[in-house]
Amino acid sequence: MAESVASDAATQQRPIRPGLFVEAGETRERPRLLGSRCRKSGQLFWPAERMNPVTHESGTMEPAEIEGGGHIVSYTVVQRGLPGYPSPYAIAAIQLDAGPSLIAQLEDWQGAALRTGMAVRLVIGTIKTERDGTRVTGPKFQPVVDA
Amino acid sequence: MSEVYVIGAGMTRFGPQPEAGVHDLAFDAAWAALEEAGVEPGKVDIAFAGHAYQGPCFGQKVLMRGGLTGMPILNVENACASGASAVLGIVQAIRSGAAEIGIAIGAEKLSTPAGGFLPTVADDLDSSMGRVMPAAFAMQARLHMDRYGTTREQMAMVAVKNRRNALRNPRCHMQKEVTIEEVLAAPMIADPLTRLSCCPVSDGAAALVIASARAARKYNPRPVRIAASVLVSGLRTPHGIVDDKSEMSIRASRKAYEAAGLGPDDVDVCEMHDPFTIAEIIHYEDLGFCAPGEGGRFVEDGRSAIGGAVAVSPSGGLLAKGHPLGATGVAQIAELYWQLRGVAGGYQVPGARVGLAHTVGGGVSQLESGACGVHILVA
Repeated sequence: MAESVASDAATQQRPIRPGLFVEAGETRERPRLLGSRCRKSGQLFWPAERMNPVTHESGTMEPAEIEGGGHIVSYTVVQRGLPGYPSPYAIAAIQLDAGPSLIAQLEDWQGAALRTGMAVRLVIGTIKTERDGTRVTGPKFQPVVDA
Repeated sequence: MSEVYVIGAGMTRFGPQPEAGVHDLAFDAAWAALEEAGVEPGKVDIAFAGHAYQGPCFGQKVLMRGGLTGMPILNVENACASGASAVLGIVQAIRSGAAEIGIAIGAEKLSTPAGGFLPTVADDLDSSMGRVMPAAFAMQARLHMDRYGTTREQMAMVAVKNRRNALRNPRCHMQKEVTIEEVLAAPMIADPLTRLSCCPVSDGAAALVIASARAARKYNPRPVRIAASVLVSGLRTPHGIVDDKSEMSIRASRKAYEAAGLGPDDVDVCEMHDPFTIAEIIHYEDLGFCAPGEGGRFVEDGRSAIGGAVAVSPSGGLLAKGHPLGATGVAQIAELYWQLRGVAGGYQVPGARVGLAHTVGGGVSQLESGACGVHILVA
């Protein structure tokens, strides 16, 4: 869960959905995704699954922290998104080195010469801003420039 | 298996209709279909109503306007494939012997949109992350361009073709021809898709009266046979909808070809799921009209135009006719019914005998898509 909780209304924030990620802090150098691991197959899932949807086995899932390194499978820049989203914004299909994949916005992408295959790493950032100013936070990915 | 036939079709104009209630639109389409079929309301054994956003007991609220009450009325939601799902429901009810005559309705009213986007679905993670539908298809386009060298110009040609087809279809939302240059120069929505690469958000309704062989003979001297009615649901896949092909369209079309005993070369006319230009290029390949990677050339060479190898979306398709979600799948089959009877007017495909309707519905996180329907009709 987010370890910094702001009280000021103007800087209020909430995660896009509870239990999806953990921010960097004293015990972690980098943020990680919170998902689940099948004890039997070792396969990782994000978001966490109730049972293993591949093997159909239940009772084998345990919580898991997932490392946020990966690469861009495909991407686009949305010029006019829905209200509250930071248009223009870049969004990409990300393949994580750890196995799972997801669709997420990119951070610090302007001037990064986006391309498929580009290395990225997980950051926690603002996905959208609600009408009352609340920042909705979640996983985003930052191009790794000096790989 | 017992044969099933379309014996009547009805459709409203597609496009913004702020003055009309969605139940009235759907009823107008349903009543027109019943009138064309010559079927008395009391003879309808079952109804399926497809829609995505129109609320509970939609079909009952529509059909009660004509006093069609009491029989089983089932409401089905499968996003853009809701209409195809409603048709499948009727076909299966008739094949099972539970019904002789059924009506499939599809309708949607979307003219109070969220700035041109579909209403946000808060429970889908990809949508919450900002993956609007144009972004999903833009990422497909990026993959197809990178892998096969498909060009922006080729994608624009899909919009040019479907807009041109639409000029001859008075029911279309978009009634203006566009050039490749205009498509490319239109405001960018999600690179490489410009505003003219995206379908409009429309209001509209369509309906089909479908009958067993015995009932069809009684009402219609020239019924059109439904040779295949297939629906598949999406598999879990790593990147969801982001792919340079639609595997579920491949699976659904192969099942449909097998059921009909036909192949892609037999198809004369196709109403295709083309919400974005890139989708039509990818689906030429999925449906077997050309090899993987050749979709761009297929449109560039005019092979999907009326008069080409297979006329794709002669009605104007989703891109130009419009896309009232639940209506679309039913409307596609109504278009084929008219094409195969030779009464499609200005956008008639000469000599069309075999038609294929294809819809894909629902952007769902970590699924290929929600559902894909393929129907094959034979004159």
